[in-house]
Amino acid sequence: MSEARLNPRAVAGGLLATALGVFAMWEGSGYAIGSIRRMGPGWFPLALGVLLVALGLALALWGLTRHAARAEPGPESESADWRALAAITAGLAAFAALIERAGLVPAVFALVALASLAAGPPRPLRVLALAAAISALSWAVFRLGLGLPLPAFAFWR
Amino acid sequence: MDLFSNLSLGLATALSPSALFFCFAGVTLGTLIGVLPGIGAMAAIAMLLPLTYHVPPTEALIMLAGIYYGAQYGGSTASILLRLPGTAQAAVVTLDGYPMTQSGRAGVALFITTIASFVGSMIGVILLAGFAPVLAQVAGAFRAPEYFALMVLGLVAAAMLGQGTPLRGLIMVVAGLLLGTVGTDLQSGTFRFVFGEQMLTDGLGLVAVAMGLFGVSEVIANAARPPSERPDYRVNWRAMLPTRADWRRALPAMGRGSAVGAGFGTLPGTGSSIASFVSYAVEKRISRRPEEFGKGAIEGVTAPESANNAAAQTAFIPTLTLGVPGDAVLALMLGALILHGIIPGPGLIEQQPSLFWGLVVSFVIGNLMLVVLNLPLIGLWVSILRIPYRLLYPAVLIFICIGVYSVRNAVFDVWLVLVFGLVGYGMRLLRFEPAPLILGFILGPLMEQYLRRSMSIARGDPMVFLERPMSASFLAVAAGLALWIIVSGLRRHKGAGR
Repeated sequence: MSEARLNPRAVAGGLLATALGVFAMWEGSGYAIGSIRRMGPGWFPLALGVLLVALGLALALWGLTRHAARAEPGPESESADWRALAAITAGLAAFAALIERAGLVPAVFALVALASLAAGPPRPLRVLALAAAISALSWAVFRLGLGLPLPAFAFWR
Repeated sequence: MDLFSNLSLGLATALSPSALFFCFAGVTLGTLIGVLPGIGAMAAIAMLLPLTYHVPPTEALIMLAGIYYGAQYGGSTASILLRLPGTAQAAVVTLDGYPMTQSGRAGVALFITTIASFVGSMIGVILLAGFAPVLAQVAGAFRAPEYFALMVLGLVAAAMLGQGTPLRGLIMVVAGLLLGTVGTDLQSGTFRFVFGEQMLTDGLGLVAVAMGLFGVSEVIANAARPPSERPDYRVNWRAMLPTRADWRRALPAMGRGSAVGAGFGTLPGTGSSIASFVSYAVEKRISRRPEEFGKGAIEGVTAPESANNAAAQTAFIPTLTLGVPGDAVLALMLGALILHGIIPGPGLIEQQPSLFWGLVVSFVIGNLMLVVLNLPLIGLWVSILRIPYRLLYPAVLIFICIGVYSVRNAVFDVWLVLVFGLVGYGMRLLRFEPAPLILGFILGPLMEQYLRRSMSIARGDPMVFLERPMSASFLAVAAGLALWIIVSGLRRHKGAGR
């Protein structure tokens, strides 16, 4: 394996931090800055933005060195798992969309079914059993145990 | 009040049936999530924060604390049997714990780590009971500049002593402080970073941010983990008992580990993970048999276990007496207390003696429960390790979603969890740690207020932080720490270049 010349994670992370800092400075300067004696609501965000830009640039520049590549060596198995990311994002979004419109049980079923796809190919029977078990459990804990206003099915209200 | 009446008050509080129940629930749950790899104490406490809104503050804190130190016990089980650390603190235990399993000494390792945990915890509790009231008296004289300097120290320590480069830690701290400014500015009533979203005027919800960063991102990272090998460990009482030679090596290591742990625990901003790493390094350096480390040296499992448990208890000292959390998990507990209307600080022990002393006594009770849970019942936890993760994580996600929704019946907060889950996963890929970010997020609003107050007292002269002896010494410690890390980093750089 040829030796890496730079550390792309550090460069990307540094640039992202810089971008966040620029955004904070830009948005912060839209609020009243005040003076150092009487700080306005914009002073602290602006100062944090400046700090973030400085730290972000430092990290990005460090990431361009050979030393940075050696200090944090290549991908260690932590490469992005797009399948899990998409499945769990979809599951959470479905839960958010369904919990008030359809109720607890449909929201739980949707989340369990979609999130299960993260682990591998769909297994309908297993997913159904798991979703039913978790629905019953969460209904018992949150509705019966804690008395939260979570109807099992919203359209039965 | 003298120690005796304090302790009897604590006993009366901690022995009430409801306190006992929540203590038991906390340590059991803590052991469970500690045993299970892929769910950390941070995620578990974030998941249970919503439940504690329905419980009185003392019981809530007893339970959350039980999860925290219970996870320290449980974390070593999977480390020893499967080389999969159950918690970040237990990662060190894999180094010598797993080799012990391979050489057929898993039972000894499980036994001795439980004893080490108990010893470390008890030393930590004694320090907490003895030291916290003294510190509270000293801190009674603290004003805004001292608090600001102390928070700087805590944040610098958290950033510098985490894993990864200090620069990343600092970035996380500043980003966390920035997230803390979202919402309504208390002094002027200005909306900051709200962008017309009504739900953001109260600021980002702590529960949603923490669950997204710690819970959801952890689930995404672990969901596709291939089914792990199953532990084929059979509990055998005779094989669990350490030999006399084991005891002779393990007991002094427990003492040293506890000392290291107590030191890091008391320092604001640093908690049990760093304590266990440092204590392992100490053992390896002073050992007469350094070549045995990594091959099943018993000091290598006992010292870090004592260290992380001592740190877990002493981390309550700065959290409760100064209002500056020992580490990110305690920052969450601090947030929980604030939500219950209790502001931790020098006055807490005097104003809420039953909370403080009840908590101290509950730590002793909880640790006794943990010894029972972890020795006679070890077989139960080993069999729980056989549950595949693909059955667990959907349940975790459901718990997160319902929990965060129930805080204020807001779907907005579920979306927030999703957003922070994605942010947290992105951070993970770029090797940013979420713990310093949460610490900054929780301390941010307080820190800004202390800064503004300091500046208005001092008429805008920043020298005020250096003119007051206490704040100057906090800043000096922070600067010294930063310098030490940078210098040792450069030295390693040179060494690597050669």
